[in-house]
Amino acid sequence: MNKNDIMCCKTFISEVEALALTFRGGVHVPEEKNTEGKAVRLFDSPKTVSIPMSQHIGAPCIPIVKKGDTVDMGQIIGEVKAGLGCPVHASVSGTVIAIEEKRNSMGMAVQNVIIENDGENRISPEVRPYEGSFEELTFEEVVEVVRRAGISGMGGATFPTYAKIQSAKDKVDTLIVNCAECEPYITANHRLLLEEPDTVIGGMKILLRAFGLRVGDIAIEDNKPDAVKLIREKVKGSDFAEVKVLATKYPQGDERQLIYAITGKEIPAGKLPADVGCVVFNAETCASVYRAFVYGMPLIKRIVTVDGDCIADPCSVKCPIGTSYRELIDFCGGCTKEYRYIVNGGPMMGAAQWDIDAPVTKGTSAVLVFSEKVKPVYEQPSACIRCGRCVRACQMRLMPNYIATFSREGKYDLCEQYDVMSCVECGACTYVCPGSVPITQLNRAAKAKINEKRKLMKGGAK
Amino acid sequence: MNGDKLVWVAPAPHVKHNDNSRTIMLDVVIAMVPALVWAVYMFGFRVLSVLAVSVASSVIFEFLFQKILRRPVTVLDFSAVVTGMLIAFNLPASVSLWVPVMGSFFAIVIVKQLFGGIGKNVVNPALAARVFLFTAWPSEIGGYVEPLSEKLSPLTVNAGDIVASATPLASLKLGETPDVSIFDLFIGNMPGCIGEVSALLILIGGIYLLLRRVITWHIPVSFLGTVAVLCFLFPQTQSVQAYEFMFMELFSGGLMLGAVFMATDYATSPVTSSGRVIYGIGCGAITVFIRYFGGYSEGVSFAILIMNLLVWYIDKATRPKPFGYIPKKKEVK
Repeated sequence: MNKNDIMCCKTFISEVEALALTFRGGVHVPEEKNTEGKAVRLFDSPKTVSIPMSQHIGAPCIPIVKKGDTVDMGQIIGEVKAGLGCPVHASVSGTVIAIEEKRNSMGMAVQNVIIENDGENRISPEVRPYEGSFEELTFEEVVEVVRRAGISGMGGATFPTYAKIQSAKDKVDTLIVNCAECEPYITANHRLLLEEPDTVIGGMKILLRAFGLRVGDIAIEDNKPDAVKLIREKVKGSDFAEVKVLATKYPQGDERQLIYAITGKEIPAGKLPADVGCVVFNAETCASVYRAFVYGMPLIKRIVTVDGDCIADPCSVKCPIGTSYRELIDFCGGCTKEYRYIVNGGPMMGAAQWDIDAPVTKGTSAVLVFSEKVKPVYEQPSACIRCGRCVRACQMRLMPNYIATFSREGKYDLCEQYDVMSCVECGACTYVCPGSVPITQLNRAAKAKINEKRKLMKGGAK
Repeated sequence: MNGDKLVWVAPAPHVKHNDNSRTIMLDVVIAMVPALVWAVYMFGFRVLSVLAVSVASSVIFEFLFQKILRRPVTVLDFSAVVTGMLIAFNLPASVSLWVPVMGSFFAIVIVKQLFGGIGKNVVNPALAARVFLFTAWPSEIGGYVEPLSEKLSPLTVNAGDIVASATPLASLKLGETPDVSIFDLFIGNMPGCIGEVSALLILIGGIYLLLRRVITWHIPVSFLGTVAVLCFLFPQTQSVQAYEFMFMELFSGGLMLGAVFMATDYATSPVTSSGRVIYGIGCGAITVFIRYFGGYSEGVSFAILIMNLLVWYIDKATRPKPFGYIPKKKEVK
């Protein structure tokens, strides 16, 4: 075969997408992408927003505004004094009506700045586009702009993006934009790719420059052929981006599986993607980086998929951070049935909420509202029948059935021996379990116990 | 919106696949139906009496045991039904009706519930019951009905006097060529236990289970493959071609029933794919070993029971290396 033939073959293969990249294990969860065909609706008029001072790991912010202050969109209202973390900004213009402590979905008490929206959408004078030349961007500048813009990972894990960039300095040769979106229901990234592809590609270019890389990968699952086609057209003829098509499987969007699917590298247990020379950014994170540079606009809005069998008119909504679920749900036509289950994020890894007035945060990719149809998995009596489905589903190649059994019996040493610490809590094992064993939940409990023990031992050594 | 109604707050994941223990057990029941229909056609309606007694007593024993010990009653998961059906499948149609009751008691109470109930039993309950009945009342089990010649009515209470005939497997054991053609062996036109005679219909059930993803291919293929290879390489009789001998061994006795329905029992087989292959090969090798050198003509039950005991070790030995496994550093020389 000459070179031309090989090129032909490659084109052919990429056209039929016979070689969708993937990993071993995983599960097929009904996709439920009910909102993929609907344009993102803009909701910029919540009556009040409640902005938590801590939206991700790292130090919580200290509010730098007082009750009664007038704030503008994009104005910094909370600063980190020390340690890991990035500032939070006012997402609407208006008046601070209260600063109060609320419990977030993890049960932790967090300071919230509550702003009454005056509807004027005044933009703060702090919001200034990057003035330097994009050609001469330095690594430090990118880190600083991203930090000031308060950008954190928008896929769900919400790790501060500037810290991710910093930790990956001089280590990476592969940059991947994660548009896998493997969780059911969520279409936020899909819609973003279709409606604002240039922001994603632009953000990726900035990040590529920061790392001194020439080419990056845009990874999209093959259940979004329209997005694949559009992005392919957009990057056609340029040499800085490659579109990688992934098989539709859960959890394809997990960094570890994504990197494995694209590069064939396994991140060693307990290490970071940078340790295998990779760095992964969510599509919407890239778009936020782009906006921070081009418009100077910090992360104050995000796309949230509002869906679930209770919602009258499910769709993806772009709304200010801090909008309450209640207002968001009302914007989507309200509930048609009594709701019994509210999830922040996807149904596989999202956190159940007890408060319908909880605010949208930087990591809220979806708000799902279910009726009685959805029940906690441990509602049914459970027994492991040793079918082995969880073993086949586990993409971390653990033996979830054994770990869950040990965990239930309180044998955490055995759990550790069976590598429970490698568990990413993706939920695939619980999903497939015909015995209704809450495997993921039991693994999580074991992990917590082991971490507790390790902390104690560390303390004892000092 | 909701008044005072409370919401569920539970840890993720919040959704589940529709399969549960009951749908799986129902699939197994469905997979056994073709072989059952064949047995009724072959041996008469008495097959249904044996089946009914066996299933009913299994379910009742499970119910009573759980009631008496005040445990949650789990008869609705249908696993006792499957056990009862398998016990019936392992008995000849002419068996006295108290025999399946004894078998059910042994399987459900002693083998399953005393070890902790579903998923926790060490050996396959139906197989253990078969071996128990086989050794305790050999004369009851030994009388295999010649098919088609004497259809048994459902009300025949004690059919022990019916003329029994040697199974093809017993003839093979004696180094004779059975008087049944390979084709008859394959479709099940021969004497034997209720559920084991028709290799064809058991395979159809097995394919159904594979398609429904209730079982994986590993155990049946490695089990049958091992038996086939060993029998082909070391035929016991020179009076037929090696491949003919191989097919006779494959299609006679309880091999098909064992490989498709017994060895694939979840609770008593390994959970890893490689473990399942090892387990299947072990079952096959021990089956051939017993058939060739043992005192019984039939070796499948013992082979599976022996491998059942090794499952824990097979699981341990075939534990997959976790994703991103870091091998322990060796000392630098």
